Amino acid sequence: MGRLSGFLVTLRQYGKKVTTEFPKEKAPRPARRHGRHVLNRYEDGMEKCIGCELCAGVCPARCIYVRGADNPPDQPVSPGERYGFVYEINYLRCIHCDLCVEACPTEAITETKLFEFSFTNRNDAIYTKDELLVGDDGRARRLPWELWLGGEDDDTSEWMRVTSPSGDASYEGRVSWSGELGFGVRPPEKGQAQD
Amino acid sequence: MSFFTDANLARAREIVARYPSPKSAILPLAHLAQDQHGWLSPEAMEQIAELTGVTPAQVFGTCSFYTMFKLRPCGRLVVSVCTNVSCLVTGGPEILDHLERRYALDPDVTVEEVECIAACGGAPAMQVNYEFHERLTPELAEDVVDAYKRGALAPRTVSGARAGGAA
Amino acid sequence: MKPVGMCRMCLVEVEGVRGFPPACTTPVTDGMVVRTRTDAVEKIQEGVLEFLLINHPLDCPVCDRGGECPLQDQTLAFGPGESRFVEEKRHYEKPIPLSNMILLDRERCIQCARCTRFAEEIAGDPLIDFVSRGDRTQVLNFAEQPFESYFSGNTVQICPVGALLARHYRFKARPWDLATAETSCTTCSVHCRGAVQSSSNRIVRLLGVDLDPVNHGWLCDKGRYGIDWVHADDRVREPHLRVGGELREVSWPEALDAAAGEIRKVLRMHGPGAIAVLGGARGTNEDAYAWARLAKGVIGTDHVDCQMGDGLPAEVVLGVRRAEIDDCDRAGAIVVLGPDPREEVPVLFLRLRRAAKDLGVPLFDCTPVGGSLAPYAAHVARRVPGEPVGADVVELAARTARERGGPLVVVAGRPSVAEAPDATVRSIAAFGALDGVDVRVLSALRRGNVHGALEMGLAPGFLPGRVTLDAGREWFTQRWGGVPAGRGLDADGILRAAAEGRVHVLVLLGADPLLDHPDALLARRALEGVPFVVAVDAFRSESAARADVFLPCTVWGEQNGTVTNLEGRVQRVARRVAPEGTAMDDWRIASELAYRLGADFDLATVDEVTDEIAAVAPAALGATAALVRRARDGVVLPLREHLGEIVVRTRGLSILAEEGAGTSWDPIRAGGAAPAGAPAASGEPAPRTRRRRPVPARTRRRPRTRSSTRTPRASAPPTRPRCTSGTVRQAGPPRPRVTRTLCAS
Repeated sequence: MGRLSGFLVTLRQYGKKVTTEFPKEKAPRPARRHGRHVLNRYEDGMEKCIGCELCAGVCPARCIYVRGADNPPDQPVSPGERYGFVYEINYLRCIHCDLCVEACPTEAITETKLFEFSFTNRNDAIYTKDELLVGDDGRARRLPWELWLGGEDDDTSEWMRVTSPSGDASYEGRVSWSGELGFGVRPPEKGQAQD
Repeated sequence: MSFFTDANLARAREIVARYPSPKSAILPLAHLAQDQHGWLSPEAMEQIAELTGVTPAQVFGTCSFYTMFKLRPCGRLVVSVCTNVSCLVTGGPEILDHLERRYALDPDVTVEEVECIAACGGAPAMQVNYEFHERLTPELAEDVVDAYKRGALAPRTVSGARAGGAA
Repeated sequence: MKPVGMCRMCLVEVEGVRGFPPACTTPVTDGMVVRTRTDAVEKIQEGVLEFLLINHPLDCPVCDRGGECPLQDQTLAFGPGESRFVEEKRHYEKPIPLSNMILLDRERCIQCARCTRFAEEIAGDPLIDFVSRGDRTQVLNFAEQPFESYFSGNTVQICPVGALLARHYRFKARPWDLATAETSCTTCSVHCRGAVQSSSNRIVRLLGVDLDPVNHGWLCDKGRYGIDWVHADDRVREPHLRVGGELREVSWPEALDAAAGEIRKVLRMHGPGAIAVLGGARGTNEDAYAWARLAKGVIGTDHVDCQMGDGLPAEVVLGVRRAEIDDCDRAGAIVVLGPDPREEVPVLFLRLRRAAKDLGVPLFDCTPVGGSLAPYAAHVARRVPGEPVGADVVELAARTARERGGPLVVVAGRPSVAEAPDATVRSIAAFGALDGVDVRVLSALRRGNVHGALEMGLAPGFLPGRVTLDAGREWFTQRWGGVPAGRGLDADGILRAAAEGRVHVLVLLGADPLLDHPDALLARRALEGVPFVVAVDAFRSESAARADVFLPCTVWGEQNGTVTNLEGRVQRVARRVAPEGTAMDDWRIASELAYRLGADFDLATVDEVTDEIAAVAPAALGATAALVRRARDGVVLPLREHLGEIVVRTRGLSILAEEGAGTSWDPIRAGGAAPAGAPAASGEPAPRTRRRRPVPARTRRRPRTRSSTRTPRASAPPTRPRCTSGTVRQAGPPRPRVTRTLCAS
């Protein structure tokens, strides 16, 4: 009997549908899934990125390359003095840790839930600003080689910072950021004090 | 090109000679220049710098500290209305408001708001070229300024010196 | 700079004193008890920081200083976590230009007065000052007078926030993506210590490093901002060869073969006298040495000159007793004969001004036209251009120096190229002839590494290490396999000979005689008269465009090596970026050419060149790569007289230190405290036990067997020639020949 009991596991699965018909459909993604990045814009179309390179500085995989430049005064790209002139992410290196999103002072970079990448050469793995920047509707551009099904670009806004700026863990999150164009703002998450 | 007139230039040299360090003469020279020209122009500051052996930037820095030096053209009469506590409760802001409106287009008169001019006993108070006038109402204040304009009252210089007196 | 207690961050508790005095303006007294971390003090620090931050904008992500900002660091270390200030902050237009190079963001300014104090106390040109008062206080220049100081860039470096910005560096990089190397600036011959920083293989910034004997942390704007040319579009990146009348890009072997082939042909047909080398003051000592060895040891020509008729004769520069810059501080008197130091050697001007103004050293301004030092001079004695200093001035300076005690420092260079060097040389001779005064000379020549090039023998009649051809003939014949038969021509002579068709190959080592030589007409005729020109340069200058072979070389920031400044101080320069194109180090080009001419230098790395210099050149004896690398302040030649001054480096640059060793509110220092017993400013000799006496590398390194030029070691090696410097007179030649020739003239 002991020898046969192992087969029970197999038998119990019999008749259940366990295979997802990828790529025709995708399994549901958790709310905090980290996928392909987007560079957000404000409602008036200005870019949120100010080229501060904090994302590049914090990136443990060194996959982000940013260069800032002086905003042209007559046709500013972003509010303020500086804008992101070059913005590139190398997805061969990116480990989707989301530290760039945490570091961003303007909530310019966030992540969608799209995580399927396939490239036929190394250059294609480097996404430039043109590809990362959201469209006029505030949603990620659907690049021809990407497989967008359903709501993978919903809810890309970063979750609330769960600790206060001074490091107090019992701080209850307050939504103080603006929701980026085209996306709703999530309800605050609970502080980390108890549980 | 000298900014100072010949007479004032001689006087300026004499003032510089009074001090052990020429730099100390910046303020009296600035008064002199303001009295001559009505305000303290960049040319004036340049010549003061030359006379006292410092850079124009330092003269600019020194003079901009004091509100009595006018770094922009101003009227012949500078009317300073106090709006600090005593004057505030006795009607200073109304006087200021009235005079500002009344002389808004008058090139001879510049109305400015000042902090306490130490005349709380006679509040509300104002100064016309640093001559005190106390216990005013908007109408009285206008009369005083008009008296200066007509020449019924002899104004001091823009720097507050008695006309013809020492700087 | 004097402390003023502007920011109030250093308020401390002193026992027995009421209130909280600022530490920076409170002198230490005997038995004083100071508390810096009590609860009360910490509360004050938090409060002060909250005040400082009230009007400080939240610009950190876009601010050039963000990441290396003292205010940021202070806030993290001592500040409150959150601000209670919710009102609107102060607003100004941002940024406004103070000059072509400096921008000011007034919102960020915390009114510490560092910039205004620097401009007034250190640079002596207060073109900026505090304007207005209260919360409108701001630093400004005067209406029509921009902040055009030669030293304005230093205010950007010492600004504790991002209020003062450099236009060149604005938004170029963030501190965390910069890679840093400690190096020396070679724009002029002072060689201020600096930290060169690059981002993505481009040099973006040069910062001053606080080196006590040289620059005190300051740089001039020419050095600080004159770095863009390294990556200029018109850099020549590949070797070129003239084919059918025009320069064509070729491979290195082709170009080198062509140059070597022509040299070999001319050598065979016309002898070594038909080959001349001009320039070499641009590169490192290693470059100069390799070229000297190629020209003098392999080719055998002495028509070599690194100056373009705009300096002083090599005999004078190498023959006089050298002063150190520190000597100015303790001098009995300083005499300035040469050019206006602020124009030619700007940071030396800061040191001279400090000595004259703050330390009370009498300064004699004997320049023909006067200039920046006149306001600080104790005596102004204008000399007639072309005439030496009057005997009365010499006597007065000597008397002053004798009375005050301390050396008499003579700063000598060419006041202008319109004036022959004779007047300066005769003036130096007049001072040199004085009795009972310790006369030392600072040669204020302006070319980057001209002193290194002269020491390495890139001058007619000289061999590396301050020795003349005759004195070093036996020694160098053995080391190199040959030296020129007799003294050659200087730059003037070379150009004249070239114009007359007597020079068949002219090598231009970064030299541009058409633009640089005082007699442009002669230079033009010379370049027209030479059949074959080899240019070793980074740019296609007017003269280099005439080249038949163009060999692109590496430049500052791309090469490792050592350089020698006007004191004779040898310091390392560092490579921070990869060379543009296939540019090659000068010394390697010389070595490759030598190989094609049948001589193998057997030098594979730049350190081997340095070590060979240390073994071969008498004045540089012992200055090995390892020693120069470990000496924090570099080493002053000749080494054995300055051994006590060597400070051994214990750690790297403080901006590189990661474990809290350096914080951004410290000045940038080369690592390493002075060892116990190291000489104080007074210059007392230090115990020599700190260092092993450097063993001459000659006894350690033996040439590899591949060497074909070296003669086998004889049973008794020839004695090492003495360098001509007057400093070694006790055991050497009777008197330095230079001083003798000068006295005779």
